[in-house]
Amino acid sequence: MNSVWDINKIQEILPQRYPFLFVDSVIEINEEEGSVSCLKNVSINDYFFKGHFPGNPVMPGVIIIEAMAQASIILYAVLKPEIAAKHPVYYLGNVDIKFLKPVFPGTQLILEVTKEKIMDKAGIISVAAKANNETVAKGRIMFGVQPK
Amino acid sequence: MAKDSFVEVKKEVKKKVSEIIEVDENKLKDESKFVEDLGVDSMMALEIVASIEKKYKISIPEVDIPKIRCLNDIYELLEKTIK
Repeated sequence: MNSVWDINKIQEILPQRYPFLFVDSVIEINEEEGSVSCLKNVSINDYFFKGHFPGNPVMPGVIIIEAMAQASIILYAVLKPEIAAKHPVYYLGNVDIKFLKPVFPGTQLILEVTKEKIMDKAGIISVAAKANNETVAKGRIMFGVQPK
Repeated sequence: MAKDSFVEVKKEVKKKVSEIIEVDENKLKDESKFVEDLGVDSMMALEIVASIEKKYKISIPEVDIPKIRCLNDIYELLEKTIK
């Protein structure tokens, strides 16, 4: 899978770091449509599988939400590069997500995010997470952006 | 737009705004100021704008959003833009 953004560029934008960075690469950017696709390689080495659950590793739904939210920040940075370059604080405002299938280690999780509305200080994003071309989670995320 | 159908639009808008900001429709006056009187924050404001844009298939420029301070401002905007 080709990357449009590598991990260094991702880390220039996302403030999250290990163990809370859930975007490995950006694989597609469509600026005109206002959409971005990112990849998270779900590995048995991901720390959360140690406890979720012992002997039965399933990716926590909240982590899938976080991954989609991080992809949403990347979309914001694509559409509002000047503000994103100043490293504002991003905070979640509202989350409305349905989970359709469990995600197991070994999955290439594709995070597809599309803008519904993006303004300087906030955004509403349609989000979906896919594994093997099947949607595993979808919904809407709203976030705020505050200059530091 | 015919007067009657705009009355309907006003009702729909008021209902939607009341749901988003969690203020009873009966207590929501057309001239109540969103921020000062009703405690609307930036997230709710964005949700109001997005829901109106989606429902009436219009686009509200970002610069115009701070000018929307009460329901009457939304009605005025819609009266001008929807056909």
